[in-house]
Amino acid sequence: MIIREVKPAGLYIHVPFCSSVCPYCDFAVTIAGADRRSAYLDALDREVAGSADHGLRFDTVYFGGGTPSSLAPDQLARILATINARLDLAPDATRHIEINPDDVSRAAAAAWRELDFTFASLGVQSFSDEVLGFLGRRHGAADARRAAGTLLEAGFTTVSVDLIFGLPGQTADDWRRQLETVLELGVHHLSCYQLTIHDGTVFGRRHALGELRELDEDGQADLYLMTHEILGGAGWEGYEVSNFAAGADHRSRHNRKYWDHTPYLGLGPSAHSFVGRRRWWNQRKSRLWTAAIEEDRSPIEGRETLSDAELFFEAVMLGLRTADGIDRDALQRRFGDEVAAFDEPAVERLAESGHLLVDGARIRPSSKGMAVAEGLVRTVLP
Amino acid sequence: MDNVRSFCIIAHIDHGKSTLADRLIQFCGGVEERDFRDQILDSMDIERERGITIKSNTVTLSYTAKNGETYQLNLIDTPGHVDFSHEVRRSLMSCEGALLLVDASQGVEAQTVANMYLAIEHNLELVPVINKIDLPAADVERVKEEIEEDLGLDAEHAILCSAKKGIGIEGVLEAIVARLPAPTGDPKAPLQALIFDAQYDPYRGAVLLVRVMQGTLRPGQRLVLMHTEIEHELEEVGLLQLKKVKVPKLEAGSVGYVIAGIRSVSDINVGDTITDADNPAEKPLPGYKEAKPVVFSSVYPMSTEEYPELVKALEKLKLNDAALTYEKDSSAALGFGFRCGFLGLLHLEVVQERLRREYDLSLILSAPSVRYRVTTTDGNTTWVDNPSYFPNPAEIERTEEPFIKAAVMMPERYVGAVMELCRERRGEKTTFTYLAVGRVELTSEMPLAEVVFDFNDRLKSTTQGYGSFDYEMLDYRDTDLVKVDILVNAEPVDALSQLVHRDRARMRALHYCERLEDTIPRQQFKIAIQGAIGGEIVARKTINAYRKDVTAKCYGGDISRKRKLLEKQKKGKKRMKMVGSVEIPQSAFVAVLKTDREK
Ligand SMILES: Nc1nc2c(ncn2[C@@H]2O[C@H](COP(=O)(O)OP(=O)(O)OP(=O)(O)O)[C@@H](O)[C@H]2O)c(=O)[nH]1
Ligand code: SF4
Ligand SMILES: [Mg+2]
Repeated sequence: MIIREVKPAGLYIHVPFCSSVCPYCDFAVTIAGADRRSAYLDALDREVAGSADHGLRFDTVYFGGGTPSSLAPDQLARILATINARLDLAPDATRHIEINPDDVSRAAAAAWRELDFTFASLGVQSFSDEVLGFLGRRHGAADARRAAGTLLEAGFTTVSVDLIFGLPGQTADDWRRQLETVLELGVHHLSCYQLTIHDGTVFGRRHALGELRELDEDGQADLYLMTHEILGGAGWEGYEVSNFAAGADHRSRHNRKYWDHTPYLGLGPSAHSFVGRRRWWNQRKSRLWTAAIEEDRSPIEGRETLSDAELFFEAVMLGLRTADGIDRDALQRRFGDEVAAFDEPAVERLAESGHLLVDGARIRPSSKGMAVAEGLVRTVLP
Repeated sequence: MDNVRSFCIIAHIDHGKSTLADRLIQFCGGVEERDFRDQILDSMDIERERGITIKSNTVTLSYTAKNGETYQLNLIDTPGHVDFSHEVRRSLMSCEGALLLVDASQGVEAQTVANMYLAIEHNLELVPVINKIDLPAADVERVKEEIEEDLGLDAEHAILCSAKKGIGIEGVLEAIVARLPAPTGDPKAPLQALIFDAQYDPYRGAVLLVRVMQGTLRPGQRLVLMHTEIEHELEEVGLLQLKKVKVPKLEAGSVGYVIAGIRSVSDINVGDTITDADNPAEKPLPGYKEAKPVVFSSVYPMSTEEYPELVKALEKLKLNDAALTYEKDSSAALGFGFRCGFLGLLHLEVVQERLRREYDLSLILSAPSVRYRVTTTDGNTTWVDNPSYFPNPAEIERTEEPFIKAAVMMPERYVGAVMELCRERRGEKTTFTYLAVGRVELTSEMPLAEVVFDFNDRLKSTTQGYGSFDYEMLDYRDTDLVKVDILVNAEPVDALSQLVHRDRARMRALHYCERLEDTIPRQQFKIAIQGAIGGEIVARKTINAYRKDVTAKCYGGDISRKRKLLEKQKKGKKRMKMVGSVEIPQSAFVAVLKTDREK
């Protein structure tokens, strides 16, 4: 007997292709020609056919990457058809797609809408040509603005832009202009990421050689807090460390699932799945993932089963990254007092210092708290 | 027994004792050529690394003399460094004679004199030996004069040798058998065996090194340790011939080891007398003078869970290092530990190293302190070596601190800089003399407290490694002592409190504050680090709150990795020491307390 999960789940499809690899990127991406793409589509069909549905009903589907918009509309359609045939995808499921400004045209936007995509994440990264050059992006600032306009015109319910902040030498003025542009454009959502330099990337090498330095911590903090201030002033909410929405309706319903242990299934290279207390993930390298499927082997690279303590740790770690925070009572009911214990003096201290807002059983991070979200979990747990 | 000779080799540091021991062992065939290595008796890693002897070591050799007789020689090699003079003292009690070694180029030095007096105190017959005659700078005639004048010994019959080149070794051996007396003591008298050293063997329990004064040790006997009155059955006796060699008995005059299944380390006191339970001696042998520690430090395990291991380790180490003293101590920040006393800075370093290597313990040591004499207004005098017990300043009439005479040897070009260093360290009567062309010896009377605080490091850097330094204790002199406290967000960090001369207090406080500033990681709130004398803040540093961490994206593929990373960081939190609301990593204590380098 299959027990249906009560909470509708999320479905993630990883599209690993990019037309070039950005110098800071450490995602699972590849530059590939037509045959690799068709091999990918075949393999994805087989992965969908071969994977259990875990009794899940999906009400969000998210095409991420890499660059999903680099697939042709008929290729996207093919994936959606395969999914629909095999998995229980709610007819009104939110369809979410990541889009590269380069790929945006009126025709393309219309085609994506035709496929019922309603949430578009545009990989703008910056509205400054200089910065875009530094980031090795091929589009210019004008392209980015135009692309956002085109998507809005095409009738996406939510248009989101991705921006990177904390670039070497970035000034408050520069970042303010970026944010003002976001507001001017009339988009509904912003995901902004602090530039992190990863080993094994071009930036990583340049960093090691001393050619590249991250903005110092105070600078990062200033820019980050300013984001909350400016967007908050415009009526937006920072509902997660990296995500801002022009109203609750524009929050990402799909991404929320990652933060509250709602089940999700991930397909494609490097995709992660989570159901109950189990998590598993696919081969990170496209080539290995494809090969496994072609040879009828499992594409899964690793799995873990979380203990109560680990689930609790994650719940706090993730919860304190979101504006909704955590409900201590609910956690204690779910995990018991022994596991769900807090360092009360530390919580008090963080409340005093203005990092946490404590309201009965609920603890929420302030914007100042979100700026140091990584450290919060360690501090509030005993 | 007439053919037994027990002797030790005593000298100033580096005059070649261990090297001479090597030659004597080789001459007597005490070691296979393939097993030989230089300074073979220096068996501890720290001894080999530092090239000095730290523990006395015993070896029993068999020597056939020119007169055709075969002798059993019990040789004890001793350390030359003043910090280990307790080892020398213990060795002397097992001997009838001593070879007093003098380096032919250096001549008589401080520890030559000190050790000679120790030997005379113990009624030992002395044979002066002039070593290193192979050196171009050797000046045998001058050294002979020094032996006569400074030591008052007859130098005419001094033996000349080069331990390194193996010259004159037979002469040394012949002098041993001819000039040193055989032990006396009746093998049939009631047993009296002096425990002069001990080791702990995890399989067999305590291994006691003994000198039998009278009577005989035989396996099966019931033994009593006279001070603790503990009885044990004697399991095995034997000789120390680099390895332990089992023998049927040890008679009066012998030096060897005893195994009696003793597992409770606290039952054993080095210096105690073993006797026979069925035919006990009337009274124990005089034993040793307690070592008088001069440098003190509190020792805490890095993680509080390791405290029981520290207890056991110290007990066992004490067995093998009778000069170490310790008593319980505790700190609000660092938990339970021990206040340890050492014979000097090198001793402190060696103990710390041995605890780390032999017992696998990571430790935090508080800043070394000396022992102060404090007279309170009610006329009482107390000794204070632990800042926690420093009386209320209002009740102090007078404080005194130990002074030393420091002797620094160095090339002439550093004299100016070293004089300056001594002045900075409150040195008095600083003078220098030329030892040879371009080489200078500087002496200065300084507070010991100034020396325990990074003097050696400073000297090494000032003289680019060319300066060496030695000291002897002088006396207690009036001082103006204050207690420096370090506060973190207004909470005192007890483990960092120190007693310091008033003139140096502000500097020291600042130094500690700076160190903490560098090592305490930024936290979500501002941290004030203050140094205080009495209630008065004399130094202050601030660690600003951290405002931003790298809050990278966090979606499906990032969660597991992030959890693992943060879980690991949280484990680190458990090892943090909480002072008020501030988390201080142990590494901060280690950094502050260890590399005590003042700018
Ligand atoms: N040229 C020369 N060097 C010697 C002679 N004897 C010893 N040395 C050297 O002197 C240094 C010190 O020798 P050790 O035997 O370790 O001196 P020690 O007296 O045992 O030193 P401590 O145990 O630390 O007090 C070593 O480098 C030896 O090689 C000698 O006869 N001639
Ligand atoms: S487009 Fe995005 S996924 Fe592709 S390489 Fe650039 S940063 Fe990485
Ligand atoms: Mg030696």
